[in-house]
Amino acid sequence: MYKLVGEERFLLWAVCSIQLQVFCGNGGEKLLLLAEGLLKKHVASHSLHEPEALIVYISVLEQQAKYGDALEILSGKLGSLFVIEVDRLRIQGRLLARAGDYSDAANIFQKILELSPDDWECFLHYLGCLLEDDTNWCNGVPNDPILPSKHMDCKLSHLKEELFDSRMSDASEFVQKLQAGTSDNTLRCPYLANLEVERRKHLYGKGDDDKLMDALMQYFFRFGHLACFTSDVEVFLEVLTPDKKTEFLEKLKKGSESLSTVPTKVLGQSITILKVQEVVGKMYKLSKSELEGSAVQMVELYCRNLPLSKDLDPQESMHGEELLSMACNVLVQLFWRTRHLGYFIEAIMILEFGLTIRRYVWQYKVLLLHLYSLMGALSSAYECYKSLDAKNILMETVSHHILPQMLVSPLWVDLNNLLKDYLKFMDDHFRESADLTFLAYRHRNYSKVIEFVQFKQQLQHSNQYLVARVEAPILHLKQNADNIEEEERVLESLKCGIQFIELSNEIGSKSLTFNEDLQSRPWWTPTSEKNYLLGPFEGISFFPRENMTTEREANVRRVIERKSLLPRMIYLSIRSASALLKENIEVNGSLSDPKTSSELKFLLERYAKLLGFSLSDSIEVVLGVSSGIKPSSTIDSDLIDWLNFAVFLNAWNLSSHELAQPNLDGYKAGSWHIVDSLLEKYISEKVRSMDPLICSPWVDLPILVQLVSEPLAWHGLVLQSCLRSSLPSGKRKKKGGPDSTSPPFHAIRESIQSSCGTIEDVMKWLREQINRPEDENLETTLSFLQGKGQNEGPGQVFKIVETFASSINDTELGDWISQAVKCWSPVDVARKIVTGKCTVLSEFLQMCGSKMKLLQALKQQIAQV
Amino acid sequence: MVCIRKATTDDLLAMQTCNHLCLPENFHMKYYLYHILSWPQLLYVAEDNNGHIVGYVLAKVEEESNVCHGHITSLAVLRTHRKLGLATKLMNAAQNAMVQVFGAEYVSLHVRKSNRAAFNLYAETLGYKIHDVKAKYYADGEDAYDMRKKLKGKQIHHHNDHGRHGHGHAHAIGGGCCSSAEAKVSGKKETKAT
Repeated sequence: MYKLVGEERFLLWAVCSIQLQVFCGNGGEKLLLLAEGLLKKHVASHSLHEPEALIVYISVLEQQAKYGDALEILSGKLGSLFVIEVDRLRIQGRLLARAGDYSDAANIFQKILELSPDDWECFLHYLGCLLEDDTNWCNGVPNDPILPSKHMDCKLSHLKEELFDSRMSDASEFVQKLQAGTSDNTLRCPYLANLEVERRKHLYGKGDDDKLMDALMQYFFRFGHLACFTSDVEVFLEVLTPDKKTEFLEKLKKGSESLSTVPTKVLGQSITILKVQEVVGKMYKLSKSELEGSAVQMVELYCRNLPLSKDLDPQESMHGEELLSMACNVLVQLFWRTRHLGYFIEAIMILEFGLTIRRYVWQYKVLLLHLYSLMGALSSAYECYKSLDAKNILMETVSHHILPQMLVSPLWVDLNNLLKDYLKFMDDHFRESADLTFLAYRHRNYSKVIEFVQFKQQLQHSNQYLVARVEAPILHLKQNADNIEEEERVLESLKCGIQFIELSNEIGSKSLTFNEDLQSRPWWTPTSEKNYLLGPFEGISFFPRENMTTEREANVRRVIERKSLLPRMIYLSIRSASALLKENIEVNGSLSDPKTSSELKFLLERYAKLLGFSLSDSIEVVLGVSSGIKPSSTIDSDLIDWLNFAVFLNAWNLSSHELAQPNLDGYKAGSWHIVDSLLEKYISEKVRSMDPLICSPWVDLPILVQLVSEPLAWHGLVLQSCLRSSLPSGKRKKKGGPDSTSPPFHAIRESIQSSCGTIEDVMKWLREQINRPEDENLETTLSFLQGKGQNEGPGQVFKIVETFASSINDTELGDWISQAVKCWSPVDVARKIVTGKCTVLSEFLQMCGSKMKLLQALKQQIAQV
Repeated sequence: MVCIRKATTDDLLAMQTCNHLCLPENFHMKYYLYHILSWPQLLYVAEDNNGHIVGYVLAKVEEESNVCHGHITSLAVLRTHRKLGLATKLMNAAQNAMVQVFGAEYVSLHVRKSNRAAFNLYAETLGYKIHDVKAKYYADGEDAYDMRKKLKGKQIHHHNDHGRHGHGHAHAIGGGCCSSAEAKVSGKKETKAT
């Protein structure tokens, strides 16, 4: 089209396509040369008319490291296409720095800062150029969701001492000038710049702790009342020794005494000091009672300052709101130390108190969501999640708070909605991408086309998206496992699991993206895989936060690879099991479908390999554990997968008989026995060892739910398939049914009996939990908060809230706050915990009930054969 | 220290989180994409020193009218970063680009009648005037003020406004829904994106 009409936009379309091809790794320099040539020719004949066209031209040159050429174009006539001066200067600075011309680049960045003194990024570029550090200009910085920015990264300067000193003194002088030149007291950059200069000196080995602390104090005097103070200075505090950090904390405390008389500022500074205390790691060193004291102090401060917010609109954030989140963090830490559940309940109480006063606090809801989850009150956690109103792309960034718990819960209807909405959003977006790409072209925003395509890829490679794509069909398989015909319909819609085998094959080579907003996660649950609360108290690293992207990527890959084998293995198991009794009828002993058997064996080998063993070694493991030769703990870490393996192994053996070993009774019960004894061992033992749920966090229940909803369910399908094939029907009826006293029948009968017993154990336990009177449950929950007359243990913070709520002063607090406080009811909160747990248990009981019904039906069926 | 810079497509995830944390009206992702792919010059973000997006402005150019004018679709600043004049800086950056890049003559926005903090920012700090009242503009039935501001003609200047417009900072939005220019996500607006 460009050849036909000679329009700039068609040429740029072609150039963008070339760039995309290069970005996607399908071509190299030659293609870029071609793009450059096309542009050069066009410029010579028609020039360029759009700033976007110039951006593309420069980026083509930049991609080839032709910085000099790009600079020449930028400073020529075409440069005037950039109407906003700062935009042009930024590009110029970047090109100069990339070309290694640090001195000129520093001058350009200095110029930008004179025009725009609050531009932190530009200051870092300026400093980087002064120190001849190319960290900022290296490409390919990995996107890390936990440590999202590498802005502050820098290399240790290679400059000689004298030169380093003189450059730093230039920087200091410039920073002083910036500070002096502004009357705007909200500009933070010039003051942080001062801190950064001191930090760089530290990194070079020429730091002066006192100077840095002075600069930090100056910053505190200006901005100490702001909510962002602590996160602003965190990176600078890191260069101080622990002793110096403590010294700084003391200085802050002293310094704040004489600062301000404006109540909101005083409150802001007090909060800052408490936050700094957390950031410098002091909380770890406090004793249990000191920690309790600290939480009490925070909540008292919150209550005392509530009157400051009386004139605010209810939807506005209140002064001191974060104090309750901070107190919650302290209480969670107390739980670690003591394992006393009362601290969790206390944390829930104060956050719910905060939400009663203002129901819009997102942070409280997120914390509550996690606390309810950890307490096992998952349905209440899900309600919290729903109240976050996470729609659209937020399902990608926010659903990590709830999805992992839901995947192992019996709340299947809610989980189904969660997965369905998320997948619909993502798939719709991918479908609409072509139109959106065209929109950018139509508006001649060529550089955005490239960005958009990369953005689409980022979403397509989302680890969460891939997990949901596998988990959604597995959920449907779980939901329909008690009816083999329904299950077969689901499998048919999944093309018998073949496409998931493809996913499993590909996943190893796919790069995954992590788009979750981990910033909003409480620091005690930094990722969905690692929950510090459940880990040991010692050795936990929060400062600095661990970078776990690589570890997470490997984990997710492993999970997807393993899970996506399931649908096909279930399908093949059903087919394989149907051969057992058929073969018996057909007498000749030949396999009815050797392909099924060999494919299932192949997948078993893969599954075993993913568990870290060969097929024969895996068989040894399950045999050993089931017979008690090996300890149960051998397979604890991948329990569900091991039991799934045993179930599929049995199914395979029903048609292959490779494992068959006549036992004392002379029938081939080996693999049936493995499954039965493993299911019984792990399910019944778990049930026996579990504490009453009302008094325990949610640790064992998800395992129990998975055991029942996966291996036991798949085993149920194997049983159904076996018996279905034995049903007298059609021609077979005339030939006569199978011999119900034959060894296979005996094994099936035993297995049904065993599964019934196992499920009955679970149901009995669940009924005991559910049938406890609500009043008793409420009393137990609240009793966790009642100390035994001493001023220690859980309940101290709760007492503050209770006392406050019972003695409110309407005039002081204003109408809406006092009304809200009056609505506060600790019993209602306790009920939320209890109901949240009971709903989960009821759903689980229903799931077990359905399995029991199936097993009873099978029992009857086999009795009639 | 917070850097006000043009948004990239990469920033969309963080911008939407920011939107969610600050405003009752949340847009479909298509709507953000519609803006950034059509008028990327008018989207700015406030990025903190640790790389987090703490505020954004989403604006567009009205194509369907005779007089070229800009429209502020959404503005948000995280609660932790209020009282730093960020909303003012973001607005000035977008308004300046409207004039410089598109030659817009005026800029319009809608604000909830009840959002005092935002109204004050627009009326007192940024010089917007009430042009009209749109009855039941928001999904929950609340009215909106249709506010407008005349833009100065095209001239070469940079987008920071330090000391230029004379409206300091600090003030702006108290604590609440700082932002405010939340356009209704109407079917009509969304269809443009497809």
